[in-house]
Amino acid sequence: MNKSKVSLGYDFVKGFIDENPTFKLAIGMCPTLAVTTSVINGFWMGVSVVFVLAFSNVFVSALRKVIPDEIRIPVFVIFIATPVVIVELLMRAYLPAIYDILGIFVPLIVVNCLIIHRAEAFAYRQPVINSLMDGLGSGMAFTINLMVIGAIREFLGTGQIAFGSVAFPEVPLFEPAAVMLTPPGGFITLGVLMALLNIAVARVNKRKKAGSDIGYGNC
Amino acid sequence: MENRLLITSSPHIKSTRTVQGIMLDVVIALIPAAIAGVVLFGFRSLLVILASVASAVASEAVYQIAVKREVTINDFSAVITGLLLALTLPPNVPVWIPVIGSAFAIVIVKQVFGGLGANFVNPALAARAFLLAAWPLHMTQDWLNPRAYDAVTSATPLVAFNSTGQTALTFKQLFLGQRLGSLGETCILALLIGGLYLIVRDVIDYRIPLGYLGTLAIGTWVFGKPGAFFQGDGLSAMLLGGAFIGSFFMATDYVTSPVTPRGRLYMGIGAGIITLIIRLWGGYPEGVTYAILFMNLVTPLIDRYVVPRYYGYGHDEMARRKAAGGETR
Amino acid sequence: MITIKKMFGGVAVPHKKGLSEKSPVEFAGIPGELVLFLSQHIGAPSVSTVKPKDAVKRGQVLAEPRGFVSAALHAPTSGVVKAIEPRFHPVQARMSEAIIVEPDGKHELFEQLSPAVSGLDSISAERIKALAREIGLVGLGGAAFPTAVKLAPPEDKPIDTYLLNGAECEPYITADHRLMLEEAGKVIFGFKASMKASGVKRGIICIEDNKPDAIESMKEAMSAYDGLELAVLSARYPRGGEKQLIQAVLGREVPPPPGLPFDVGVIVSNVGTAYALADAILTGLPLVERVVSVTGEGVANPSNFRALIGTPVSYLIEKAGGFTGTPGKVVMGGPMMGPAVKSLDVPVVKGTSGILVLTKEQAAQEPVLPCIRCGKCIDVCPMGLQPVWMSAYAERGLIEEAEGYRVMDCCECGACTFTCPAKRPLVQWIRMAKAEISSRRNAQRKS
Repeated sequence: MNKSKVSLGYDFVKGFIDENPTFKLAIGMCPTLAVTTSVINGFWMGVSVVFVLAFSNVFVSALRKVIPDEIRIPVFVIFIATPVVIVELLMRAYLPAIYDILGIFVPLIVVNCLIIHRAEAFAYRQPVINSLMDGLGSGMAFTINLMVIGAIREFLGTGQIAFGSVAFPEVPLFEPAAVMLTPPGGFITLGVLMALLNIAVARVNKRKKAGSDIGYGNC
Repeated sequence: MENRLLITSSPHIKSTRTVQGIMLDVVIALIPAAIAGVVLFGFRSLLVILASVASAVASEAVYQIAVKREVTINDFSAVITGLLLALTLPPNVPVWIPVIGSAFAIVIVKQVFGGLGANFVNPALAARAFLLAAWPLHMTQDWLNPRAYDAVTSATPLVAFNSTGQTALTFKQLFLGQRLGSLGETCILALLIGGLYLIVRDVIDYRIPLGYLGTLAIGTWVFGKPGAFFQGDGLSAMLLGGAFIGSFFMATDYVTSPVTPRGRLYMGIGAGIITLIIRLWGGYPEGVTYAILFMNLVTPLIDRYVVPRYYGYGHDEMARRKAAGGETR
Repeated sequence: MITIKKMFGGVAVPHKKGLSEKSPVEFAGIPGELVLFLSQHIGAPSVSTVKPKDAVKRGQVLAEPRGFVSAALHAPTSGVVKAIEPRFHPVQARMSEAIIVEPDGKHELFEQLSPAVSGLDSISAERIKALAREIGLVGLGGAAFPTAVKLAPPEDKPIDTYLLNGAECEPYITADHRLMLEEAGKVIFGFKASMKASGVKRGIICIEDNKPDAIESMKEAMSAYDGLELAVLSARYPRGGEKQLIQAVLGREVPPPPGLPFDVGVIVSNVGTAYALADAILTGLPLVERVVSVTGEGVANPSNFRALIGTPVSYLIEKAGGFTGTPGKVVMGGPMMGPAVKSLDVPVVKGTSGILVLTKEQAAQEPVLPCIRCGKCIDVCPMGLQPVWMSAYAERGLIEEAEGYRVMDCCECGACTFTCPAKRPLVQWIRMAKAEISSRRNAQRKS
């Protein structure tokens, strides 16, 4: 049906603004604050979450009719833990340097409330294809959020943004503020970004509303 | 025709005291310390003070214009924040430090939480803590020798005092501010003039500085000397570091201190205890900033539980006792 | 004589008594119309015994009390009852039934007034109590509580002390001051009569130290009697609040509402009330007039008038030389607790101690700033409350929380609002919360 197609696209997009996990729902805060000291950390954390989220959403959705309601949370955790172990082993094998930094936060994805939240609030009630879209959308939005926070903190905290061996700018332009790499810096960045996004969304909504009001007035 | 008469709820007369007046009093009280800072540490101090105040006022104006609120820079509260922050900085810091610090204090700590009266920690101190975490080297090494104006990066006398329990400085040197330290914290004489002015003008409650300095002095006397009790130098503990400026000007900030007299005493004592712990057994040389910030956070709790004795309380208490007695019988 | 300097909260207000304290009490005259509300007092409104077109004489009963806590009403001058209709009540701020009397200008006394008594010995305690009820006497300090009720304390509550309240702590108002100065003998006589009626042996006269001349004249008048003491209090608002006076003079605290001074063995009466009682005993004249200060920077000649109850405010202001410039606010009573009126047609009621006219500049509204939690309101609150939280909760509609901070204990003295540097209308919010709580309690009682 046409309607499901529309909602399929929306299921993917909604994670970016309307149900942005970090700035709107304020969930998954633990990795958000802990690993975003650099862009690259944020990126790999995000990628891991996308994989886990898509995996768990698909399986929860596919088996939603056979999972007994009473024990659904333990079942969710199994579906989440499986891809987390896969990610952890892959990362250890191929990205040992990143794994050293992310460390405990990779296995901790199991209890990341973003993933449980999507499973409980979305995948448990929706068809498989929608759930996949939702998982990918939310996961990618989460990745972008982590990278943006990481970029700001890395830039202000070290004066540079580094990708592997390349750094921009080569020499810091100002005296970096060490506080930005510490948890308080993370909270401040998160708070400011959350405020800015909400202001922007409120402005856009207001303009939309004002536009439609005029439209009604004319016809 | 009838004149239009105004109808309002009583009372119909108000005292002449205003928020602006109170803030102006605080600014006046800080001027001696600012002058002392300039005299002791030279022209650089003036630059730091002016940069800090200008940045605070400009930040407030810019933010309020940006969010389309009424611009309230004429209430002097931003001036106080800028001035207080400047007085707690080392005199030789780069000028951009007070500029960023004041902007942080006004925008992040004060305005974002709702502006005047709504901040939950002292803006100047929160900004100082931020600067200390952001640029620790500048905040702990950019000292100037008093009256000689040459740069020094050694530790302040408080560090030695904390570990040995004694200081080589005489009382006169300490009282007049002849030591390394932040530009407004060293001259006790100037701070005392300002603090007494505020107490006389009934702006601040003497209980906060009394509780704070008293606790600090007694605590240092008891525990201050390594390996011995009751031999510490309580007097120097009060005069060294930022205890004086903190207890008279920071901890007494209305918005972030308790509203009842008894609560204020408790806040002073609490801040004194935390300062003592940080100084003697903590990792930082000075604990005034964190002690007061901590007590700022505890203030709502103090306000909740430390309440004045209401009129007629004795009757309720008697009734309660009677009821309790009846139950046991 | 004892001197009391100890303070229990309160504020130093500008007294402004100088405007009218030197002007002797004069009879204000008979206005063209008198408006006499059936509800002049705390308690049930009285019941009219006259009908339109009835001719009445000065002192004749217009209305009878209904129930125990109520008071009678009398004609202040001779004339004709023009109508019985609702008029705007300045204190209750709503329409209220009133008897309108059109004076005939003859000022004829009612023939049946009870004969005068020469001394206290020739009148019994029972007779004084009955008289207080017959003459419609109420507390003239402002609250207008029926005096007859006060004079008959419950059996289980022994009363040991009677306080005569001459503190007059409200700024501007000088009605009690002039009365103590000019009629000290009668005031003391009335006080002794009250003591006799209620069977109280110890009487203390309480005056603020900013009225030295009144203290002198009262001292002189006192010397003729035994068992009277004088307490001079440092001038500080709200010294004259009933509960505050008991605390300052006797060191006792009245229990929280619904506690009354009875509960701690005390009765407090205003000097105006004592004077009116003396007048009734000595001449038989009921409560038909009272002393009213017409004062403030907004009137030309601030004065003290003996005004008939029901005299319109506009008439008294005219008598005091009219306005100087444009008036900003007209207040019934003192500036701290009196209600502002919207029209000058409203009449003097039994509880009106003054009419205060503030100029346009004085009435100008100052901008209200955010609360900076300076705690000054807590320092000044005579009830030991925390107006900062009570008003903040009330402002946000959190009535239960405000009640938890004992908002019902508030006596609305206005000290907190006066002192607030941010010019926040604390009392206004507190009143709102109190009204809401009262109406909820009433609804609960009914259901």
